[in-house]
Amino acid sequence: MEIPYIVNARKDTGLFNSKIAIWLFLASEVMLFGGFFSAYIFLRLGADYPWPERTLPVLPGLINTFVLIGSSVTVVFAWAALKLHNWRQFQVYMGITIFCALLFMVLKAVEYNVKLHHQAVRLSDYSIIEGHLGYDKVEGKKIEKNRINLQLEQEATITYNVLRFHPAWVEQVLEEAKKAGVSIKLAADLKGEEKLSDEGKDYFKKDEPLTVELLNKVKDAHLAARSNNAVIKTEALREAWKVAKKAHPDQSDWEYSDNVSIDTEAIKPKLLTEFPSVSFSIDKSLALSFKPRDVKEGPTQSKLRDDTVINGKLVASPMVFENLDAIDFQYLVMKAEAKGIKPEVAIENSWLMQNSGFVREAWAWHEKEVEKLRLRLIKDYKRDENGKPNREPTHKEMYRMGWKDLKKYAEDTKDIKLSGVDKIKEEFMGPNYHARGQETFPSFEVPREQVGFAAKFTPAWNTYYAIYFTITGLHGLHVVGGAIVLAYYLFFGRKMYDENPEWLANRVEVGGLFWHFVDLVWIFVFPILYLM
Amino acid sequence: MSAHAASSPGHDHSHDDHHHDPGFFKKYLFSTDHKTIGIQYGITAMLFLAFGFYLMMVMRWSIAYPHQPLPEWMSWIFTDNWKARWLTDGKVTGETYNMFGAMHGTIMVFLGIVPLGFGAFGNYVTPLQIGAVDMAFPKLNMMSYWIYLAGGLIMCASFFMESGAAKSGWTNYSPLAGFADGQIVNQWLAGQTQWLIGLVLLITSSLLGSVNFITTIINLRARGMTWMRLPFFVWAMLVTGFLLLLAFPPLEAAGIMQLMDRVAFSSFFMPTGLFTQSEGLAELSGGGSPLLFQHLFWFLGHPEVYVLLLPAIACVAEIIPANTRKPLWGYKSMVYSLLVLGFLSFIVWAHHMYMTGMGAAVSTFFQTTTVLISIPSVIIITALLISLWGGSIRFTAPMMWACAFIPMFGIGGLTGLPLAFNLVGLHLHDTYYVIGHFHYVVAPGILFGLFAGVYHWYPKITGRYMSNFLNHLHFWPSLICMNVLFFPMLMQGMAGFHRRWYNGGDAYLAKAADSTNVFGNTVREFIDLNVVMSYGAWALAVAQIPFIINVLFAWKKGRKVESDNPWEATTLEWATPTPPGHGNFTFDVAVYRGPYEYSRPDCEEDYFPQWHAPKKTAEQPNDKENH
Repeated sequence: MEIPYIVNARKDTGLFNSKIAIWLFLASEVMLFGGFFSAYIFLRLGADYPWPERTLPVLPGLINTFVLIGSSVTVVFAWAALKLHNWRQFQVYMGITIFCALLFMVLKAVEYNVKLHHQAVRLSDYSIIEGHLGYDKVEGKKIEKNRINLQLEQEATITYNVLRFHPAWVEQVLEEAKKAGVSIKLAADLKGEEKLSDEGKDYFKKDEPLTVELLNKVKDAHLAARSNNAVIKTEALREAWKVAKKAHPDQSDWEYSDNVSIDTEAIKPKLLTEFPSVSFSIDKSLALSFKPRDVKEGPTQSKLRDDTVINGKLVASPMVFENLDAIDFQYLVMKAEAKGIKPEVAIENSWLMQNSGFVREAWAWHEKEVEKLRLRLIKDYKRDENGKPNREPTHKEMYRMGWKDLKKYAEDTKDIKLSGVDKIKEEFMGPNYHARGQETFPSFEVPREQVGFAAKFTPAWNTYYAIYFTITGLHGLHVVGGAIVLAYYLFFGRKMYDENPEWLANRVEVGGLFWHFVDLVWIFVFPILYLM
Repeated sequence: MSAHAASSPGHDHSHDDHHHDPGFFKKYLFSTDHKTIGIQYGITAMLFLAFGFYLMMVMRWSIAYPHQPLPEWMSWIFTDNWKARWLTDGKVTGETYNMFGAMHGTIMVFLGIVPLGFGAFGNYVTPLQIGAVDMAFPKLNMMSYWIYLAGGLIMCASFFMESGAAKSGWTNYSPLAGFADGQIVNQWLAGQTQWLIGLVLLITSSLLGSVNFITTIINLRARGMTWMRLPFFVWAMLVTGFLLLLAFPPLEAAGIMQLMDRVAFSSFFMPTGLFTQSEGLAELSGGGSPLLFQHLFWFLGHPEVYVLLLPAIACVAEIIPANTRKPLWGYKSMVYSLLVLGFLSFIVWAHHMYMTGMGAAVSTFFQTTTVLISIPSVIIITALLISLWGGSIRFTAPMMWACAFIPMFGIGGLTGLPLAFNLVGLHLHDTYYVIGHFHYVVAPGILFGLFAGVYHWYPKITGRYMSNFLNHLHFWPSLICMNVLFFPMLMQGMAGFHRRWYNGGDAYLAKAADSTNVFGNTVREFIDLNVVMSYGAWALAVAQIPFIINVLFAWKKGRKVESDNPWEATTLEWATPTPPGHGNFTFDVAVYRGPYEYSRPDCEEDYFPQWHAPKKTAEQPNDKENH
């Protein structure tokens, strides 16, 4: 059996099979990316926060654009070389194509890496600062100075939900306790009933030390009791209904359902004790810390996401920036304007201006810069007939000091400058904290109660970054996938080339069509995410 | 088979299989033969349908008897531990009901009917009807089955997780779905996340499938099989393929974004200031749009209805001419209607969203397109109806189902008309009326069409007929029970019964007859229908037993077919050996005429198959046909 039209085109359609398939596949891909681009439009139009404009590094994006366009050309040359039966040339051009794909991914990876390590925090008053978090090195692991710190006094309790406890977090608490020489022990006896316990299986004595195994044992005992009780209660309810139905033969169930219930007294002796949660206490005071996302903190009691309740006092848990690299009042101004408060007043009253000398000084310099810009715009673009300037500084220019502004501030006032490679490197890798130092990007501490919402520059930070990572990530996967297929033709295509060069040419043609599509998507992605 | 790839075109293919046994795994599990894959799809889909049906029975118990423990005959399937987690004193809880409801919808639509209609029938019949040796990409075909199976199993596996399976409705609307199972620390092990992963796999599978189908239909048609000689079935598969190809990706986009919301804590669909009782103010950036999810979902969701429907209509359109012994009435207008229907189905989606406040202008646009789309649907159904007129109908097993399909689907379609109007939609939105409408389309409509297909092609697949006696036992109770089950829904819906009441309205009931609670009294008037419908559901389950026996029993013991063309039909699948071997045809296929040449006055027999060469024509001295 042979499938026809794999190599040669069918006469009346003029197409070979895989060519039809790839065009169909691309149509579907258009719909997929169309979905994402529509989402972009929808989210941007509906955004209720200042949409970040021109916030990504343009230079690497621009280079990537030309890299991809170049690779689209070379993939066509590779196909043409195959058609001309020139294997050597095919290898060269396909090699260049794959090299371009790799270069693209490297630049992309650098860009991602910078974002994923860059912290942002929205303060309670909606001013935003960005920068690089400080960290402690503990046993080779970097622990960022952005933790919720809890202080547990002697006898304080930790209560686990036996069904939902997250073993890794239990281990973490145990490790902390071991380091501090604290032991965590069962706070009270957990007594199961005699009749079910074989060798005291569900009998847990006070002062038994906390381990994941112990929690698992309690869980097993709980589940056994719960199953047992459910069976008994179900039976009892069935029985109750049987009786009730006999008593009300002509009625619908709902007419007497209120009077049907389990005889709780009768089944009581058969029920077993359930242990949905289990408390442990500590013998000495203990300090614990958690990632902010994992814990809902309270002044005296905090709850982990796995339902573990920790009775510890919330102590100072500041977010410590090693380097502050942006001050952003756009959101604050937007909120203030909605309330009819003047932007300058709102900024003046913001927590940052009130509490940070650096911010105050930098902002004073920034306001002068904005004035200069305003005058320059009037000079360059003139005023209209009513005397209004044709162009004014944008919101972003007025209310945000990005890292380039802070850099300029330091260059102007403190004469800190970079040169040569360091300067170009910054265009790819973001601010060079190391070379510019604390003078340009000072360290900064945000007390926990001022933190409104904090995230790295990940999809979590806002919908712009969400759509940016999703579209570029998916596009990146397409680049990788396409490159793998093309590399397969390059490195494993020789056999097919010898046997049936036209077939290989068809395959390369189809792969090339896909590659063009990947390029085309980028040509849309680049302006909407990087330039607009 | 690759060893035989170079065999000459005139080679006898059924002969081929004898000295080349591929072994059990290759032959039945990892087969690339479109027929085996079709059967795999069919069996898997029917198992999923049975499971989805079971979930529905549990729900119907909860609706009819909200205060009573689930009876033993339904609950034995669960472990005690599972029951203790998900039932309260043996009663179905709201959470469990939501879980079953969400999974019932998902399983029936994505894992049951689409794979049965498109995957099973499409795979088995399409290449045969166009005279192809196989699909254009056999390996891709196998891959799409296995990806489908993986997606389905991942979705269903979540029933056994701590979180349980997805609980946010089969539509999975955010922000509810974005939050659900948020308490699970490892989000990859939450039912709601698994649902999304499963969905992405299913979409991938149907994408591969649709590319394969369309390519096959365009490029692998036999000699002489011009577009207007294609059986209607093939046209329907072509349009279905395009719907899957183009409508599914936006849902994949939505699925990926919702997955990001869950595992990367983004806010695509999470608005600012989201507050829940358990979590307080959500620790999210906000700024997202729940409406966006609905748009992307229904952009798939509506064409999906036609993906469900078209294979069923396709089966019926094949069965009616074969059993009325006359051509399909208005074949061309049916084809054009189909194309128009396919196109229009892309621009009606927001009629599911009248209640979202998207604006009067938008609603009006979608109301208009929705009313428009009824025109091609009615043309198709009318053509099928007129095809019966004046025919000498053979009431074979498939024909009974096909005949029942028309009025049942008719009720489903006609009850949809009021829903198209956004004013009426405001009243009926999210009521049992919608459920009744939709289920009339899908259950007695589409499923009957697919049952017809099973009875029709079973003799080709196995070489044996299914028992007609068991068919009667299957058909009549099914027909009655379907109506007992779904008709009261229309009544309840107009009375305002909400589709998500897990206790069937008990919470809103005015128990005292003299209550001044007006709505409570309305509920009181209609609540006893719950019990009637639930009995309908259980009787319907019993009615499927003869079918299961029939399918299994007839496989080995059924009456053998007398020829390769037992229904005396005209399309190409009946030109193959029974069952068809790998490579399908034993002769060089050529097509000479349209697909439904029945009762031609110039013919001796009352059917003139597509592959029979015209007789006594001087132009074609070489009659290649050797049948």
